[in-house]
This record gives sequence, C-alpha cells and structure tokens, in this order.
Amino acid sequence: MSFLAENLPLIVDGFILTIEVTLFGIFAGLGLGTILAIGDIYGGKIVSTFIRFYVEFFRGSPIIVQLFISVYVIPAMFQTLIDPIIAGFLVFALNSAAYQKGYIKGAMQAVFEDQMQAGLSVGMSKPQTIVYVILPQALRIVIPAWSNEFCSLTKSTAALSILGIRDLTSAFQSIAIRSFRVLEAWIMCAILYLIWITIMTKIFDIVYEKKKIPGIEISV
Amino acid sequence: MDLVQQLLYMLQGISTTLLISIFSFLLGLTIGLPLAFIRTYERGFAVFVDAFEKVFRGIPELVLMLLFYRGVGLFLAFPFGDAFFTATFVLGLRSAANQSQIFKGAIRGVGEEQMVAARSLGLSRLQSILRVMIPQVFIFSTPGLGSEYALLVKDSSYAFVIGVPVIMEQADRIRKATYDPVIPYIVAAILYILLTFPLATWLDTWGSRKKKQLGL
Repeated sequence: MSFLAENLPLIVDGFILTIEVTLFGIFAGLGLGTILAIGDIYGGKIVSTFIRFYVEFFRGSPIIVQLFISVYVIPAMFQTLIDPIIAGFLVFALNSAAYQKGYIKGAMQAVFEDQMQAGLSVGMSKPQTIVYVILPQALRIVIPAWSNEFCSLTKSTAALSILGIRDLTSAFQSIAIRSFRVLEAWIMCAILYLIWITIMTKIFDIVYEKKKIPGIEISV
Repeated sequence: MDLVQQLLYMLQGISTTLLISIFSFLLGLTIGLPLAFIRTYERGFAVFVDAFEKVFRGIPELVLMLLFYRGVGLFLAFPFGDAFFTATFVLGLRSAANQSQIFKGAIRGVGEEQMVAARSLGLSRLQSILRVMIPQVFIFSTPGLGSEYALLVKDSSYAFVIGVPVIMEQADRIRKATYDPVIPYIVAAILYILLTFPLATWLDTWGSRKKKQLGL
C-alpha cells in the first residue's frame, strides 16, 4: 500500500478534477437540458427539429468521438486552439444536456398535460405555468433518472485520460507505469470510482425519498 | 495512404465494432436473463446479484478494460492478453448487469399472476419460467434491450485504449497517416450514429406494436 501513500497528492488531484467535471456536467446539463425540453415541447417545429439533431448527435456517438472532435476537429476547422480541459468541461455539459432533455421532457409530458390547462385557467401565462407549476414537479420526478445520469457521466469522464487530462484514471495510469504494480493500481482505481458512485447514488436515493411526490411514480 | 486503403480500414473498424457489440450483448443476455429470474424467485441470492450489478455498473468501462488487459493480463496472458477478448468480456459483464436490471423490470411488468396461473396448471417452476414468462419478458424488455445495444456500440469505442481496431482506433490511425484531423473523426461520428440509431428505434416500435397486439 506504500506506493499509494507516495502518490496520494496525484490521486487527490485527479479525484478532484473528476468530481469537478462531473458536477459541472450534471448541473450545466440540467440547465441546458431543461431549456431544451421546454423548447422541444413548446417551441414549434423548427426548434424541435434542431433539438432532435442535437440530441441525436450527442446520444448517438461515443463520448470519445465527441471529445476528439472538440479537441482536434473544431480547432483545425476554425484555426484556433482549444484548451483540452475547457473542451472536456463543455463536452460533458453538452452531452449530459442531451440525455437530461429526454428525462425532463418525459417527466413534464407524462404527468402535466392537464396542469398546463389548469395553470392557464387560473390566469397564469404559459411561461409562468412552466416555471411555477410544471418544472418544480418535473424536477422532483426526474431525480431517479438523474441519479443514473450522474453515474454514467462519472464513468464516462474516465475518457478524459485519453486526452492527457489528469483525472482519476490518468493518475492511476501514471502510478501503474511508475510503480510496476499494475494490477494493484487498477484495482485501487476501480474501487475509488465504485465508492464514489455508491455514495452519490445513496445520497440521490435519500433526496428522492424526501422530495418525491406521493402517489406519482413514473419511470423516465 | 490512399482512399481505398482508408476505406478498408474503416470497414475493418465497422466489423470489429459490430462483433464486439454483438458478442458482448449475447454474453450479457446469457448471464443477465438468469440473474434477473434468480433475483426475483430466489430471494436468498438477491444480495449477490445486487453486488454484481453494483460493481459492474459503478466502475468506468475504460478502467475495467485497463484493469483486465494491463493488470490481470499480466498474470493470465490467456485469455486476457487478447485485447479483443478482454473488451468483449468487460462489456459483456457490464451488459449482464444492465440487462439483469432490464429483465427484472420486465418480469415485474408481466406480473406475478402469470406465474401463479402457469403453476396452477401444473407446470413446474422451470417450465413456467421457460414457457410462460420468458416469451412475455422479451416483449416487455425490447425498448430497454434496444438502448442497451446502442450503449454497447458506443462503449465499444473505449476498446480504443487497448488498441482494438474499432471505428475510433481506425479513425485515429488514418489521422496519423494522413495528417488530416477533420474527416476521420467526422466519419467516425457519423458511422457510430448510423450503427446505433436504426436498431434502437426499430426495436422500440416493434416492442410497442407487439405489446398492443397481445393486449399486454
């Protein structure tokens, strides 16, 4: 275990970066995903066609391809340089938004068709009804799906190591090479991810139990 | 590297990607389906099945591949020295964990009554599972299985890190040979989208049509 103690700073730094990317991705994705969901439902045909293409690209292609496109293709096409870390943060946010749009749209549609009518009938405007009536409920219903999204987002951040960004996986990559204890290093890495994801899933479960709307349970 | 050669590279990438996805899907099916039934009907084993699912759903596929290929492969050169096998093995087990969850939901969707009805007709438990439950479970789980297959096609791109000639790896090789950073990756993205999109949607519509037909 001594080889781990020696490399503790490396592991901690990597872990922090992994957590940062995941949290940024999940929250920025939530904001953007909500906008996309509202746009898809209420935005008319052109907007929703555009959103469909966006979603199809980000859900249909692997995260590695998206990362490589943002780091190699886009800079080459526009003759600029993009910092791989910034590209990484952006790709995970955009990617997560595409998935979260689906969940949020499902939650908004499945239960609240009639609530829109109710909101309008008491004199609220359409945007008001969306913000004050539909969204608060939809976001509570979507928590379990959100928890799954958090897990898969965390797992896919491991792809950052391919770009040479120093996340948790890449920390263990260099530890494995330097210490020659390849198997131990990778097992340790796997365990750390497992612990982090298990803890976060538990937290999501607790939050859902507290926040869930009694009587309404849908799977999105 | 001329155009024909590039095309051949990409074709090899497509076939490798499809082979990994299909084999790991089948591996996931043969492990996942029994696990779902064990979990539902043998309460005592539920803990183990849950632990298996947690482990394989909670570790990045990339880390698992490196763990088995670089780590375990060091001690067990056969079979984990082979990158293609390792990628299929890892994705297959991950898929088993996912598919076990999908089938668990489907079993619940079909309902306990079907099982009770089958047993009351004198079928044994194994017979009722094989003859009555499984055919219906499959119809209930088609949308889930469709997206699981799409997920496998996408996740097979992680095999790039251990050098398996999947579409991503081939695109990378073409970039290195031609110094063109744009076209290979764009082509790779389009290929992945083409490989994931149709089957998932088709299974989804087939599943809901079949369900309506049978009145489920």
